[in-house]
Amino acid sequence: MKSAVANEHEQGWDFEKAAMPYVDSLYNTAYRMTRNSEDAEDLVQETYLKAYKYYDKFEEGTNFKAWLFKIMKNTFINNYRKKKLTPHKIDFSEIEESYERVIQKNAPDLIKDPETDIFQDMMDEDVKRALDSLPHDYKMVVLLADIEGFSYKEIAEILDCPVGTVMSRLYRGRKMLERTLLEYARKYGYIRGGAEPAKMRSRKDETKGRKKKEASEGEETEAAEPEENEEEALFTAAEDEDFEFEVPEEEEEERFDIG
Amino acid sequence: MPVLFFLEFLAEGSPLQRAAMLCRDVKRVVYFFLDGSLGETTRQDLKSHLSLCPDCERRMRVQQALRNFLMARFARLSAAAPPRLKTRLTRSIRAFRTEWSR
Repeated sequence: MKSAVANEHEQGWDFEKAAMPYVDSLYNTAYRMTRNSEDAEDLVQETYLKAYKYYDKFEEGTNFKAWLFKIMKNTFINNYRKKKLTPHKIDFSEIEESYERVIQKNAPDLIKDPETDIFQDMMDEDVKRALDSLPHDYKMVVLLADIEGFSYKEIAEILDCPVGTVMSRLYRGRKMLERTLLEYARKYGYIRGGAEPAKMRSRKDETKGRKKKEASEGEETEAAEPEENEEEALFTAAEDEDFEFEVPEEEEEERFDIG
Repeated sequence: MPVLFFLEFLAEGSPLQRAAMLCRDVKRVVYFFLDGSLGETTRQDLKSHLSLCPDCERRMRVQQALRNFLMARFARLSAAAPPRLKTRLTRSIRAFRTEWSR
């Protein structure tokens, strides 16, 4: 089979024309994945060269942007898999519980004026930090859904997983994100009482975490800050598919009649 | 309390019996509702529930507020690719093409 490149000189121009409009989107996601501009640029470049090389494998009429994102995701995983990162264990029930507490306690404040941000003074930095603190798999679905605007089905295609998994990760990811933000809001005094720091440490870190907790006992509780485990946090939940929906993930779509 | 209230309502054989959406279910579909991804039947069931359950209705408004806030902030977070990256990409693609077509 002739490769796209050898096949048609012209095709290169087609590719550039088709692919270049997505540079910003890919870079933005790459930046959130790698958290630094140099790695993000490298990742995007590698993605584009691979996409160009395999351009003839792209099925006409399917979503080209999603195809590019899929290549980028695979490239990213391959590059990072080499580092053999340890998955984290996340106690999601704990996250959910404290989230509920804050929501219930602060509902009146939170809905007082939805148009002019409840967290008006909250810095973009805080939102970035909260987003970056998400375990990789959850961050990916949140980025793809809420920033890139992909549909659940497209995300499932990009990430090679069932739509039910996308939905459960989106549910959890958004919940963790909001919880972290509510925690910041509490810390800065915009809202009252509530959330404890998110449990996002691996077992390995538990001892370290405990010591830290002891050391800071009596002080104000810190916000979630898994920053020191940045690299490990990337793959926190790689195998964590045991979402507590009672129905199996595949049936989720059917059960809730997703349009 | 809302659950009891709801069960009571169901016991009377209301049309909501078909839906039987409990507060627990509402929590689980909130995001999908806000995304506009729920099918018509579930959406109607949810709306019926919300109209009868102040707790869930309040929760929905909180979640909506959070969602609005986050979407607005996300839009601001998006970073454009540096111009040098675009140049770099174009160059490397063209270099690659030349190499392959030799």
